[in-house]
Amino acid sequence: MAEIFWMNLAEIDALTAEGVAGAQQAATVDAVEAVRIQYLGRKGLLPQIMKGLKDFAPAERGAAGRSANAFKDSITAAIEARLLALRGAAGAVAGPAFDYTLPGSWRGLGSLHPVSLVITDAVRIFSRMGFAVAEGPDIENAYNNFEALNTPAHHPSLAETDTFWLGKGELLRTQTSPVQIRVMQSHPPPVRIITPGRCYRRDTTDATHSASFHQIEGLYVDRQVSLADLKGTLAAFMRAMMGPDVGVRFRPHFFPFTEPSVECDFSCHVCGGKGCRVCKQSGWIEIAGAGMVDPRVFGKVGYDAEAWTGFAFGMGVERIAMIKYGIPDIRMLYENDARFLAQFG
Amino acid sequence: MKIPYSWLKEFVDVEATPEELAERLTFSGVEVEGIHRLGDGLGDLIVGEIVRFEKHPAADRLRLCTVHDGRGELQVVCGASNFEVGDKAAFAPVGATLPGGMAITKRKVRGIESHGMLCAEDELGLSEGHGGILLVEREVPAGQSLATALGLPEVVFELEITWNRPDCLSVIGMAREVAALYGKSLRLPDVAYAEDSRAAADLAKVRIDDAARCPRYTGRVLSGLAVGPSPGWMQHRLKFCGVRPISNIVDVTNYVMLECGQPLHAFDLTRVAGAQIHIRCAQAGEKLKTLDGVERALAPDMLVIADAQEPLAVAGIMGGGGSEISESTREVLLESASFDAPGTRRTSVALGLASESSHRFERGVDPELADWASRRAAALLLQTAGGAAAGGVIDVYPGRAELRRITCRFARVQALLGVAIAADAICNIFAGLELIVESRTDAACVVRIPSFRRDLEIEADLIEEVARMHGLDRVPEATPHATLIQNVDDARTWAVMQLRERLTGLGLREILNYSFMSERHVNQLGGEDAARRLVIPNPVSIDHAVMRPALLPQMLLTLGHNMSRQVANADFFEIGRIFWRDEAGQACEAERLSLGLMGRVGQGALDGRRSVSPAEMFLSLKGLLTALCRAQSDAGLRMAPATHASMEPGWCVGLWLGDVALGTAGLLRRGLREEWRIAEPVGVAELHVQPLLAAPRRRSFAPLATYPSITHDVAMIVAEDVQHENILAVIRKAGPTELTDVRLFDIFRGVAVGVGRKSMAYSLVYQSGARTLTDAEANTFDVGIRQALRQELQAEIREG
Repeated sequence: MAEIFWMNLAEIDALTAEGVAGAQQAATVDAVEAVRIQYLGRKGLLPQIMKGLKDFAPAERGAAGRSANAFKDSITAAIEARLLALRGAAGAVAGPAFDYTLPGSWRGLGSLHPVSLVITDAVRIFSRMGFAVAEGPDIENAYNNFEALNTPAHHPSLAETDTFWLGKGELLRTQTSPVQIRVMQSHPPPVRIITPGRCYRRDTTDATHSASFHQIEGLYVDRQVSLADLKGTLAAFMRAMMGPDVGVRFRPHFFPFTEPSVECDFSCHVCGGKGCRVCKQSGWIEIAGAGMVDPRVFGKVGYDAEAWTGFAFGMGVERIAMIKYGIPDIRMLYENDARFLAQFG
Repeated sequence: MKIPYSWLKEFVDVEATPEELAERLTFSGVEVEGIHRLGDGLGDLIVGEIVRFEKHPAADRLRLCTVHDGRGELQVVCGASNFEVGDKAAFAPVGATLPGGMAITKRKVRGIESHGMLCAEDELGLSEGHGGILLVEREVPAGQSLATALGLPEVVFELEITWNRPDCLSVIGMAREVAALYGKSLRLPDVAYAEDSRAAADLAKVRIDDAARCPRYTGRVLSGLAVGPSPGWMQHRLKFCGVRPISNIVDVTNYVMLECGQPLHAFDLTRVAGAQIHIRCAQAGEKLKTLDGVERALAPDMLVIADAQEPLAVAGIMGGGGSEISESTREVLLESASFDAPGTRRTSVALGLASESSHRFERGVDPELADWASRRAAALLLQTAGGAAAGGVIDVYPGRAELRRITCRFARVQALLGVAIAADAICNIFAGLELIVESRTDAACVVRIPSFRRDLEIEADLIEEVARMHGLDRVPEATPHATLIQNVDDARTWAVMQLRERLTGLGLREILNYSFMSERHVNQLGGEDAARRLVIPNPVSIDHAVMRPALLPQMLLTLGHNMSRQVANADFFEIGRIFWRDEAGQACEAERLSLGLMGRVGQGALDGRRSVSPAEMFLSLKGLLTALCRAQSDAGLRMAPATHASMEPGWCVGLWLGDVALGTAGLLRRGLREEWRIAEPVGVAELHVQPLLAAPRRRSFAPLATYPSITHDVAMIVAEDVQHENILAVIRKAGPTELTDVRLFDIFRGVAVGVGRKSMAYSLVYQSGARTLTDAEANTFDVGIRQALRQELQAEIREG
């Protein structure tokens, strides 16, 4: 055991260097422990140094305290570093290395269907904007699906070629708009809802058409809701859904249940609007139909069209999924090939 | 609808490039779907006359032609054979360049020099057609520019006209829109013509039965007409619009329809029995052979144009062969009438017969247009077919409608659009659209709606006109002021979304099937009551003829489909609606969840290749269902043996959550899976969704155990028919309150155990909430439990 008979600053610093070197050169964990006891132990050098501090001249005492701290910190750090190195080395030499590249023993997560992914995203986005979700039956009556929506009796969509009629005035809904009617019939204004759901049209199935598909519609009725609010809401949705940089534009259009009516395009997310194969060189992709609720629709559900205004919009879920994920053929969505589904996990 | 730009320019002065105009139209409500530039790059081509031709001496398929180019005769080799001597054809002389960039040089074809080329339509970029060389009228002089001869160059717009704007289904209708957009005025053609001393009213009679079906019928009589081809300019325009030229009389009626939107029909008056026109409903049993050559049975709801004896035409849709214009026609009754939209639509659908005429009538044709269009056609007929017109018109007009007046409040415009537009600007927009502002105050104006804008019915319609002419791009994107609205409860939707997420967390992939399936598959896989099926009366195909009565059949098809694509490991779920008719015949629907597990069980990667026993697959499915139900519901999951048409006997259980039936689970019937070449057991289940949502877990805190537990094991040999549940029940009943958990950890069968018997080993966990238990206490608990097992299950307890 070293002893200090006479101490100055240089002596402390020399002991520090000695202790650090001793720790670094220790060959075993036991040797490191011996160094620790010699320099930092209860009967080692550190308590002696601390005790000796009071013997320094007042002018030197501050510097001596700093040297004493450095003694403790440096040797402690050297001991820890050496122990880490020795223990790691001990593991490495214990036997052949475990092959950590073997597959892990946990079955992966499953996946939501792309249609569900889009609906879930849309529900979350719109719910941030205060829209509640309303659902309704697939089997509807003609009143809710057409008449209450101000669709003239001779409109082509009523014809047998476009609608699946089930008899007794029942049909498979051609849009989720009848849910809007159901909600307005059962709730006084204001209402703010989206209505995701399955719809049916007698389309011959091809790469972009399916006789059964999904829609998300929205409805906001309140005091002083305007076309500007519709633009703001749909633009916010598109940016949240397709990316913060997409542009949104509106074109006049016609739907029986809205007046004025518009169609909504967003700037192509693939080419940024410059024109490419996805947007057929136009830079824009049609995505939604929308408009201000026709006062005659309000009349059908007993809303006062003078006191309340509202907007409604609708879009195809499969179409959004195809655009967003680059799916070339709508039929792939209904083939349920596990390899396809796994791409969306 | 197609519209040539030059035709549009006849009625409105517009200088915009086609692209500029297309942009303005698209953003004011008429979408331009295409701009077709016809005849670009034809500057070098001329019309050549084929003076004579002979067979190429070295090639059977080629002709050696002598072509006159207006200056002299040239020798040209040609591969086509659709011409005669004297024909005029598209000719590219040496030195010309075709629109595709091909340069014409003097060259030898099979040893004979060709000084130019006779061209087909595709070579000229006019169409895809390559059915021989392009011929023009023989009257065109040789050497004339080909473009001039074809009425080219021309720009043709392809427009999508929305259902509410039948007035735009014409060149003049579109010119009116363009005039409003560019602040120009509409210029209509002169429709005056000379009349002779006869009165039309003396030459034919018109009677209308139902004013609602036929609000107006006008007839003019023209005599001494010479039927022949119509002039080239008229034929060109018809072709640009996709209408085939037929003869001057028919072409004039089509031309005027395209121009102003009023369908017209010319009857050979000598073939109208009694010179009487009777607009009536068809009588039962009546038939008519329409101009397309098909004999059609008419139903009593169908409106026809009849003479004194029989139907001559299906009103507004198509004429009949009997009164058709022929080469011998001299005297014509020119019909310009209005037929109601719903009736025309119904008849068109019922007959499966549509035409340019029905396309317009089923959207609505302005009755006020009938007389103007008739005058325009009469003038053009006299101009193109000679003859004379009888004086006046037969005009039966029982359905004259009052003009509508709509008040538009300026404040309402701003309220609905969210942008301030000055009252003057609003009134100017109306005036530009030929909507007459009759009176005006500071707050509102009263607008008289012309008859051609039947779509404008209410104030919101006028506000839409303001929006589209003002420009939607000038409406700002606003953030709604967003009242807090809590009247619609969507908790169920969110709960189903969470259910989906949990199922994916359990490793399942979501699938989505159509709501309909084939009757064959329902029969094969469903086995549900056939009388309850919801059959679609008008399916698209027999593969989609029945609304699915269950989800399992499509789940089986999906598994089989994947197996056939070499996907042998797949775990699927589907949440969707099923459909049926109840006892009263009422159509019903409900939400179901189906599960399908195929291939690998277990977590390890190495599990993928080993074969799976029925028990493993069943327990894998059961474990999944147990985990799911524990997360979804406070009601405990119960099972009991059951049967199901698609499931293997003995491997099928009914499921309950508390007292509520949840569904059925089990292994797929062996015969079914072998049909799809699935070698190993498949786990399937079909569940009601509602019970999974009905009793959501109530989460509440319970104190955590602070004293250590003691675990003792008990192993026993019991008869094979003793079930795990029996043993659990006995242990729990005999155990003290300190028994907090019982876990099965081993099952063993073998010689040492004996035939018909099995060894079952359990861990018993004892724990007290009040103190640390001693080993001695635990041993005492063991004694009671072992005693009960021996007595109640005849178990042989294995010591040590």
